[in-house]
Amino acid sequence: MLSVQQVGKTYGTFHALRDVTFSAQGGEVFGLLGPNGAGKTTLLRILATLLRPDSGQAQVAGFDITRDPEAIRARIGIVNGGMGLPARLTGREVLQSFARLYGLTRAQTDARITELDDRLELGRTLDTRAGEYSTGMKQKVVIARAVIHDPPVLILDEAASGLDIFARRTLLDFVQASRAPGRLTVYSTHVMSEVEEVCDRVAILHGGALITLGTLNGILDATGERTLERAFFALVRGQPTGGAHV
Amino acid sequence: MSDRAARRGLRRAMVWEVAARDLLATLRDRRTLNATILMPLILIPLFTLGFPLMLGNFIGGQQQERQTVGVSGPLPAPLRAALERDETLPDGTVVRAGVTLVPVSDPQAAVQSGDVDAALRVPETLPDRAGAGQGTLELHAKLGNLRAQTGAYSKVTDVIEGYNRTLAVQRLGEQGLNESVLQTVTVKPVDASTSQEQRSGQLAFLIPMLMLQFILSGAVATAVDATAGEKERGTLESLLVSPVRRAEVVAGKLLATTLTALTSAAFSVAGFLLSGLAMRLYLQRQPDATAALTGGMGGQLTLDPGSLLALLGIAASAALAISALLIAVGIYARTFKEAQTYVAPISLMVVLPAVMLQFADFLNFGLGIYAVPVIGGMLSILETVRGAAVPSHALIAIGANLLSALLLGLLALRSFGREEVIFRN
Repeated sequence: MLSVQQVGKTYGTFHALRDVTFSAQGGEVFGLLGPNGAGKTTLLRILATLLRPDSGQAQVAGFDITRDPEAIRARIGIVNGGMGLPARLTGREVLQSFARLYGLTRAQTDARITELDDRLELGRTLDTRAGEYSTGMKQKVVIARAVIHDPPVLILDEAASGLDIFARRTLLDFVQASRAPGRLTVYSTHVMSEVEEVCDRVAILHGGALITLGTLNGILDATGERTLERAFFALVRGQPTGGAHV
Repeated sequence: MSDRAARRGLRRAMVWEVAARDLLATLRDRRTLNATILMPLILIPLFTLGFPLMLGNFIGGQQQERQTVGVSGPLPAPLRAALERDETLPDGTVVRAGVTLVPVSDPQAAVQSGDVDAALRVPETLPDRAGAGQGTLELHAKLGNLRAQTGAYSKVTDVIEGYNRTLAVQRLGEQGLNESVLQTVTVKPVDASTSQEQRSGQLAFLIPMLMLQFILSGAVATAVDATAGEKERGTLESLLVSPVRRAEVVAGKLLATTLTALTSAAFSVAGFLLSGLAMRLYLQRQPDATAALTGGMGGQLTLDPGSLLALLGIAASAALAISALLIAVGIYARTFKEAQTYVAPISLMVVLPAVMLQFADFLNFGLGIYAVPVIGGMLSILETVRGAAVPSHALIAIGANLLSALLLGLLALRSFGREEVIFRN
C-alpha cells in the first residue's frame, strides 16, 4: 500500500529527509512520530505528490509518486494542521465541490455526506459558512473533505493540532473506526499519547532520518522504557535536533 | 511534479469546478460586488455626466450672475454703462448679466482679498472716440482661476471689445464707411470631426482609463483571493492534492478572475451608455450655453454594433491579460495582504498611459504602440469612443493582449508547479 525507498529531500543546504525507507500495509494505522522539524510534513507532502524527492522513490496505492501523481491523488486523502476552508462557502458546498473533483455522482455525494455527518457529528456545521467555524468545526469539515471519496490511503499530518478535547476525541475515534482491510491511515504527530492510542506501528523520524520502526511494544522492549515518550528520548539522545546542513 | 500531467490537456468540468468555487466566494463578498458592479455604475456617470454637468452649471451660472468689479480711476460713462448693462431677451430674460462696479483704491489688493471678482485701473483718461489716441486699461483678475476667467474677466474683456468696436464703427460712419470694412475676409470654421468625435467630449480620454481601471479592480479581488488568499487559508494545498491538474487549477482561476473582471467591464460600458443617454435627455432640455459646455466636456457615448463589438473584444482580451498577470503575481505572495502590495503598482500600468492619452491628438505612435499589451487596447478604445475606430488597430491590440495572456498564463502555470512558490510561507 505504501512503500518508501531511500527518499531524500534537501532545501538549499538543509537536509530535510535522508534516505528514509519503510513500508506500510492496508488495514493498519501507521504512526509517524517526531518533533517539529523532523521531516514528517516534507515526507507526507512527497507521498501526496506535492513535493518532488531529490533522491529515492516511493509508491502509494500501487502507483509511483513521480510517474503517476494523478492516480495517487485520486486515491489519497490528506489533512494537515494548516489546512483551511474557503470562508464564504458552507461545509456542504465544500464537500460537494470536492466530490465533483473526485468524480462522485450527486447521489453518491449526498449519501457520503450523510455518512460523514453521522461519523464526524457535523450537524449544523454543514450548512454554516466556514468563516463562522470554530477550530474544531473547521477541522471536522477538513477531514470530511479529505475522505469524501473514501480513499484507500488517508494521511493525517498533525490533524489534532489546536483541537479542543471534544474535537480531538472525535478525530481519534474516527481514525479508529476507519481501520479497515485495504485502508491505510498514516497518522503523523509529535504527540506521543495519540500514537499510543491509535497506531499499530510507529516510525520515528528525527533530524530528517528514520531512527526506528516497529510496533509500540517492540519499541518499548527495544529501549527498555515504559512509555513511548521515554523511548523516544532514549532513541534521540545524542542525535542532532534538526535536519543537518550539507 | 505535475508538468507531465499538465501537458495532458484541460478537462472542462475540472476547470469549471475550480472557477465556480472562486466565483461563488467572490459573489458572496459584498466589498468585491461593490467594486465590480456598483462602482462602475456610480463613478462613470459621475465622471462623464456629473462633473461636466456641474462645470456647465457653474460656468453657465456665471453668465446670469452679477459679479463685482472694482474700479480705480475715471472710466468713460458709455463704457461704465456698457459694463453695468444686462443683456436680455425681448421677454426680459437675462441672457448675460452685467457687473456691479464699485470704487477701489488698490485694484490688486481688492482682487487678492476677494472683495471684488476683478478690478479695473484707469491710469490715464481714456479716449472717448476712435482715432483720438490710445489708452491702456489694467484688468486685475486671478488669471489662473477658472471662476474669474469665465465670470468677471470674460465679461469685462467682451464689453471692452464691444466698446472699441462701437467707437470704431462711429468713426467709420463719420467717414461714410460701414462696419464691413473692418472685416474684409471672414473665417467660417467647419468642424471636420465625425459626429461621434463631436459628441465624445473633452473627457473622452477618461473612458479607456476608467474601463481598464474597473477591469483591474474587478480582477484584483478574485485573483488575490484565489492565489495568495488560498495559500494563507491553507485551501490551496487541499486543491492541489485532489485529482485536478495544475493546468486546470490555473485555467479555472484565470476563468474566474476574467469573468469577474469582465463583469466589471460590462457594468462600466453600461455606465457609459447610461451616461450618454442621460446626457442626451439633459441637453434636449437645455438648448443654451450651459448645455453646450456640458455636452462639449462630458460628451455622449453612442456606439454602433461594430464599435461595441470592438470595445467588448478589447475589454475581454485586456481582462484576460490583466487576470493572467494578477494570478502570476499573486501566487508568489504568502498572504492576501502581501499580494495586495504586489498588485498595487499594476494600477500604474493603467493610470500612466491614461495620463498620456490626454495628449493623444499630439502624438503619433505608429502601429507598434497597438502591439503593447493593455496600452494598445486603451488607445484603440479611445479611437472607438471617438467614432474613429480602426479595425486593424483593434485587432492588433486584441492579439497583443491575448498573446500576453497566454505567456503570463504559462508563467502562472510554472509558478503553480514550483514547490518554493506554493509552499513559500
